[in-house]
Amino acid sequence: MSTPDVVSRDKAAAGLVDVGLIGRIAAGDAEALGELYDRYGRVVFGVLYRMLGSPEVAEEVTQDAFHSVWRQAGSYRPERGAVRTWLLAIGRNAAIDWRRTRGKRTEREAVIDEAAELFEELRVEDRVLASLRAERIRAAVGTLPVEQRQVLALAFWGGLSQSEIAERTGTPLGTVKSRVRLGMTKLRERLAGEAEQA
Amino acid sequence: MTDHPRDDLAAYALGTLDTAEQRMVGAHLDSCATCREELDALEEAAWALAETAAAPAPARLRERIVSRERAPRGRLGALFGGLRAPVPLAIPLALALALIVALVGLGSARRDADTYTRAVAAVVGARLVALSDTGEAPGARGTLVVPVDPGASAPYLILELPSAPAGHAWEAWVVRGDRAIPAGLVEDRAGVLTVALTEAPAAGDQVAVTLERSGGASQPTTRPVLAGRV
Ligand SMILES: [Zn+2]
Repeated sequence: MSTPDVVSRDKAAAGLVDVGLIGRIAAGDAEALGELYDRYGRVVFGVLYRMLGSPEVAEEVTQDAFHSVWRQAGSYRPERGAVRTWLLAIGRNAAIDWRRTRGKRTEREAVIDEAAELFEELRVEDRVLASLRAERIRAAVGTLPVEQRQVLALAFWGGLSQSEIAERTGTPLGTVKSRVRLGMTKLRERLAGEAEQA
Repeated sequence: MTDHPRDDLAAYALGTLDTAEQRMVGAHLDSCATCREELDALEEAAWALAETAAAPAPARLRERIVSRERAPRGRLGALFGGLRAPVPLAIPLALALALIVALVGLGSARRDADTYTRAVAAVVGARLVALSDTGEAPGARGTLVVPVDPGASAPYLILELPSAPAGHAWEAWVVRGDRAIPAGLVEDRAGVLTVALTEAPAAGDQVAVTLERSGGASQPTTRPVLAGRV
């Protein structure tokens, strides 16, 4: 049983550890980069695997992403978001770049189309690895209306901007924006409710 | 203050804004605690999405990532030779502040965190240079603070160091060309501390910290534990 106080204190402590790691990385400490990888490498690699559809490419792009972290650590701004979100953004941008410059067009399209399905689909190896928490998150996403789910998937796994989603799905930009907003807001509420029950 | 970009925060957290929009929201976040709090909650949701994909990477990946950045540890000739190239990096003030809080906030007294945060805040506009840990004293960290207005205060080091062995002290140096100028001594203290430099480093100088006998030396006799270029 965890109270919200404990949750937020743990979160704040984790955030401080992360910022400390970024400081050490900025100072040229390669071991700190390894520690950051220990904390978030599984998630970054997993997201890039989903986005790029190949473990070999995901490995290469994850390596590029951590190299960017090494070079950009001094420009991390705590006001603009948590370290792990910043890290994830660097990884996702690297994946989007890779797709644009190196990926074959047909594969790229196939991967993006697939993205729209990815919140429903569970691959066999995922089912084995999925933690209870991942199942609960998937369940929370599963309760969103299908059009919100699709927009979140195209944005997150597909790496598309809101205007690109509007163009691809033939939906007005304003509608895409409000689906992103509603989907994220609901997801946040459901995850918060879920954390209280846990 | 401009209006809160409420509608764009979810897309910002999800990473789906265009570059220009992203910059605008980022600039707003710099000065708006309300939106930062809102963003914090939305980032939780975005991270939750990411977690659903978590997967083990090949074991070799970690070593590849770390060894690419690790400095070669060769045989060293002169004491100051063979150092990893100092990272020519000025840490933004906000990060330095957060880092200092992180250094002292988890173990030591809150009071210390406040002291050092204030010390840095007092020289807003200062340039901060991260010192590289040379591997000689694991866990050693340091930041050089150089006030932009030289009249404001002397440059100083914020250091986190282990205790010096009995009869020894940490000594700071300004290395100009092939000359090392003694610049400050730390005796009998460990943990996070500050030391004002008695010699102001100029552009191109190196600042280094070595272990010396109590009372200090006129020239460094050991390899630096920390070093950085101004
Ligand atoms: Zn605001």
